Amino acid sequence: MEQLKLLCELNAPSGRENAVRDYIIQQIKDKAEVKVDALGNIIAFVKGKKRPDKKIMVDAHMDEVGFIVTYITPEGMLKFTTVGGINTSVMLARKVEFLNGVKGVISSKPVHMLTSLEKEKMPDEDALYIDIGAESKQEAEAMVSVGDCAVFSESFENSGNLIVSKAIDDRAGCWAILDIINSEPEYDFYASFSVNEEVGAGAKTVAYLVEPDFAIVVESTTAADIAGVLDDKKVCCVGEGAVLSFMDRGTLYDKDLFDKSLALAKEKGIKAQVKSFVAGGNNAAGIHQSRGGVRTVAVSVPCRYIHSASSVASVDDVKSVRNLTYQLINKLASGEMN
Amino acid sequence: MQGIKNILKSLSEVDFIGGVGSALNIAEGYLSQYCITRRDGNNLIGTLKGNSDYTVLIDAHIDQIGMVVTSVNNGFLKVQAAGGIDSRMLAGMRVTIYGKKSVRGVFCSTPPHLSKSDSVLKIEDMYIDTGLGEKAEEIISVGDRVGFGAEFSQLAGDKVTSRSLDNRAGCAALIKCAENLSGKNLPCNVVFLLSDAEELGGIGAKTQCFSINPDVAIAVDVSFGNAPDIAPDKTGVLGGGAMIGISPLLSTTVTDDLKAVARKNKIKHQFEVMGGKTSTNVDKIVETKCGVPSGLLSIPLRNMHTPVEVIDVKDIDSVAQILTEFVLTREVK
Repeated sequence: MEQLKLLCELNAPSGRENAVRDYIIQQIKDKAEVKVDALGNIIAFVKGKKRPDKKIMVDAHMDEVGFIVTYITPEGMLKFTTVGGINTSVMLARKVEFLNGVKGVISSKPVHMLTSLEKEKMPDEDALYIDIGAESKQEAEAMVSVGDCAVFSESFENSGNLIVSKAIDDRAGCWAILDIINSEPEYDFYASFSVNEEVGAGAKTVAYLVEPDFAIVVESTTAADIAGVLDDKKVCCVGEGAVLSFMDRGTLYDKDLFDKSLALAKEKGIKAQVKSFVAGGNNAAGIHQSRGGVRTVAVSVPCRYIHSASSVASVDDVKSVRNLTYQLINKLASGEMN
Repeated sequence: MQGIKNILKSLSEVDFIGGVGSALNIAEGYLSQYCITRRDGNNLIGTLKGNSDYTVLIDAHIDQIGMVVTSVNNGFLKVQAAGGIDSRMLAGMRVTIYGKKSVRGVFCSTPPHLSKSDSVLKIEDMYIDTGLGEKAEEIISVGDRVGFGAEFSQLAGDKVTSRSLDNRAGCAALIKCAENLSGKNLPCNVVFLLSDAEELGGIGAKTQCFSINPDVAIAVDVSFGNAPDIAPDKTGVLGGGAMIGISPLLSTTVTDDLKAVARKNKIKHQFEVMGGKTSTNVDKIVETKCGVPSGLLSIPLRNMHTPVEVIDVKDIDSVAQILTEFVLTREVK
């Protein structure tokens, strides 16, 4: 899991994916024909042992949620907006890091000074600011500019089979595809490492360029299997394997492909589960509508506290996602699964 | 400032919650380089002998806010706060649980599909996810202490952020003062008290002050630092120097002496005026035995009681300098 740790620790909010892009290109440049499209997506043609019957594209997004500076106050405080969906509750009193290494904290009025009304309500995001310790606009501007992005600053922790980190969404997906590329795949396929998923613009151009017959979106998705949540609201469970989606807020998935993917997991003895709540969305939304339409399946790592500094996932689940993705590539490329 | 920064980093990245954690050991490692130290319960006491029986007590609390486990169920814990905690910030927050061994956990964050956007849960209605499942019960018991898990980071200039700067910043000031005074010919005895249980009402300071029986006392704590969403009259400016406390409860003579040494030695300072209680250990110290004339020095701090408290290290140095000069200029009759 050293490589997953390394990937999670890279800072790459949407539109500023350079650190992850550079790392991935470094890792695959000898094993694939790599190009970067106009938006910054990596499109890699991976040579397998055999030529495929169908053209397969496998996508994971490189970007993570973050913060972008919109204004610097005369007192040297940074006003910001979020890049991607972040709940105010998981950003209050959190440490952030800019891409140039400058650290800051998201403000939080001391509990001693809150009115009883304030204690019961989340503050407006507009009321928050990032404090980098600067005492004036001039001092702040020497460190950070309007338009600069920050991400959560928290370490990667590993305890037994569980990992806690920022950016598991979707470095886990990036890891799975990298691992497949590194393990001498059976068939040629296209790998897409995409930008801007968290702002709803991921992988559309890649699908257009690659023009695949099938797409596999390798993702991370909300798991709500926590104390106090009823079974029908849990969405999916950490430790129960790769998550297959029949529907989310962006896509009503190809039912036949969904069914066959589930059957394939069973056949190959790969732990898998169904996403049992319609929520969230991912690059499948853009990919499945590309050109004349692309048959698309989403395979996800179940992840608690997604889009926070402390997402929790299981190493076994990440491996199940990798293995199911690998099996899907083989089955779809060979034309056995139509 | 690097010396103080190093002390503060090592003091703030360890915990001391209800007597649990290693902050006292780390502090003793520093303080014992400069004076004779001893423990009494969860309090650390360092003494420098002077040329008279007159004793100055300098206090800073070393405990910090935290939580206590109230139930363990299939790897999920419920806790209650020990000290004032803002439950709005807890979702997704990492913590350390001091069970049979220390383990890490994350406060459960309710996903958007299950929560109203601006609703706030009370801390006793939240869960901590340990990921341990049923094994949690072998390691964690009710009553175990829980602390925030954030690390020290450098911000602009001499500003830093960490958990527990309330009141490791004060502890660092005492250690720096001990360093300044060590080996000097002192007009009086100085007792440094790193006291327990301030966040629970100043119990350590109250009982230790009784035993030490000082002639005069100065408490060192943190106070609210300037921030855009707080009225300036309620705060001190970060980097603006030691906040000299002024309150009817505090001795006018001691307060005037603190002001005088700050002015005379051109040590950066500002004032914090309170109408009565100071909500620090000094409230308990002044009423010990027949009463102890006392003063208060505070270090301005932002985001109090969060894992990302912010201070300016220069203010710790200002406090240490004022304390040093205050001791050296004691006129003992």
